[in-house]
Amino acid sequence: MTTTWHVPDDDLRAYAGQGLGPPLLWSTETHLASCAVCRSRLAALVPVDAGWARLDAALDAPRPGPVERVLVLVGVPDHTARLLTATPALRLSWLAAVAATLVLTALLANAATPVVFLGVAPLLTLIGVAVSFGPGVDPTYEITVTSPVHAFRLLLLRCVAVLVANTLLCAAATLFVPGYGLTIAGWFLPSLALTVLTLLLSPRLGPAWAAVLVGAGWVLAVTWAEMLPFSAAGQLSLCAVVAVLSVLLARRAALFDVLTTRRIR
Amino acid sequence: MTLATDTAVRADGVVLRYGRTTALDGVSLSLGTGVTGLLGPNGAGKTTLLRVIATAVRPDSGTVSAFGHDALTGPGRLAVRRRLGYLPQDPGFHPSFTAFEFVDYVAILKELTVRSARHAEVRRVLAQVGLDEQRGKRIRALSGGMRQRVALAAALVGDPALLILDEPTVGLDPEQRMRFRELFADLGEDRAVLLSTHQTEDVMSLCRTVVVLDEGRVRFDGTPVELAAQAAGRVWTSETRATGALASWRTGTGSYRQVGDPPLGADLLEPTIEDGYLTLVGLRATEDPR
Repeated sequence: MTTTWHVPDDDLRAYAGQGLGPPLLWSTETHLASCAVCRSRLAALVPVDAGWARLDAALDAPRPGPVERVLVLVGVPDHTARLLTATPALRLSWLAAVAATLVLTALLANAATPVVFLGVAPLLTLIGVAVSFGPGVDPTYEITVTSPVHAFRLLLLRCVAVLVANTLLCAAATLFVPGYGLTIAGWFLPSLALTVLTLLLSPRLGPAWAAVLVGAGWVLAVTWAEMLPFSAAGQLSLCAVVAVLSVLLARRAALFDVLTTRRIR
Repeated sequence: MTLATDTAVRADGVVLRYGRTTALDGVSLSLGTGVTGLLGPNGAGKTTLLRVIATAVRPDSGTVSAFGHDALTGPGRLAVRRRLGYLPQDPGFHPSFTAFEFVDYVAILKELTVRSARHAEVRRVLAQVGLDEQRGKRIRALSGGMRQRVALAAALVGDPALLILDEPTVGLDPEQRMRFRELFADLGEDRAVLLSTHQTEDVMSLCRTVVVLDEGRVRFDGTPVELAAQAAGRVWTSETRATGALASWRTGTGSYRQVGDPPLGADLLEPTIEDGYLTLVGLRATEDPR
């Protein structure tokens, strides 16, 4: 394959000295695979043995998926992005399912009531968080708990990533529900509240049962109160709830540092 | 209790209850450099004890320390985890990962964040368990034995000073078990290895010390030879099955090997570690499905 573009000298020197980081590293490796000119320029910079070692390393290196590439592009360190790739709710298939559900509920909201959209959107975030980390959910949970990376930190990382992804999808879906002004953004605080409450309950109940309980409570609340949680007063109350729950969660961070004995019998 | 001179880990009076069940009932032991075997019937509390020492579970009472750090405090736990390699009984995998990706993932959990150094370490441990040819294969495509080796490679990342292995040889064929045995022997040269197993021959050939756990209590803590000696004078052979023997089975020669109280004039045999274990734990050990 012929190409008119070549890796700049500085980047090639950094690559030879193993000082090039993702995503530039990935694009350089991809280019080198198809460009004989750059390969010969690289050969002049690297001793032969080191070149073979580098080739070995390049062949072994995990191929980043699209979500991982996006995370690195927006500034997430590559090792953190790698940890997030094991999050089920960040897989493209999952995100596509969430997007399809949101579009469907948005259309229903137009035909009937915005409560359909406002009620379902927080549940999608809740489910995404519940399947992201915890005993019985993450197959490597026991290894993670005994590793130096604090399990609570990993939990928060995954939750934030799921929240951000769902928030972007929900925000995009609101475009399908014109005519309700800012009210249609009322899903955001319930999403936060349900997520934090589920995390608080998960050491005692496990992530799945905590999510089921909180989700059922939310469905009952929306069925009974309809638009009340999305009114100005409802949103202020939810804001206070999120603040209180967040403080409680921070205080209980140590609970995530070991396996809960009631859950490992 | 055997007190190693170079104690890496020490547990004293560890009690842990699951509801009304007492899983560990005042367990005390110490581990030094070398391989320590942990034997016991199913439900004896072996996995729970390993989890406590691996800092995965906090006991209800007692103390656990490793390398001078109190493993029950936050900072102490972190210090222990930085020197720990842990292979759980049921190591989980992200099945879509390759062997390399999985070990790389665990390496990140072990704070190896610099990409090139981390990948070099991943290649090293995969080669150590004999998986350098299979490193690019998806875990879902690997055999059970190979998966176990991937999990062991993950435990070896970072060259840990304390290695806790919960039944690592389950599901392996004899050749693989022999390779694991060689590897564990090498690893035990310069670090503390705690090996839970049902394979008494592994204990005999590998372990400097052996601990027998039963009903949450330490029933024995000593050398493999001392464990075998527990059955001294209680193993005999005869042409017929003895009634009342603790265990009795016909050997390949057609005679019966019996463990228990021998009759007068019985033809006594040299006890093995398995005989010692049976004598200590009793018939429940023979009911073990493994």
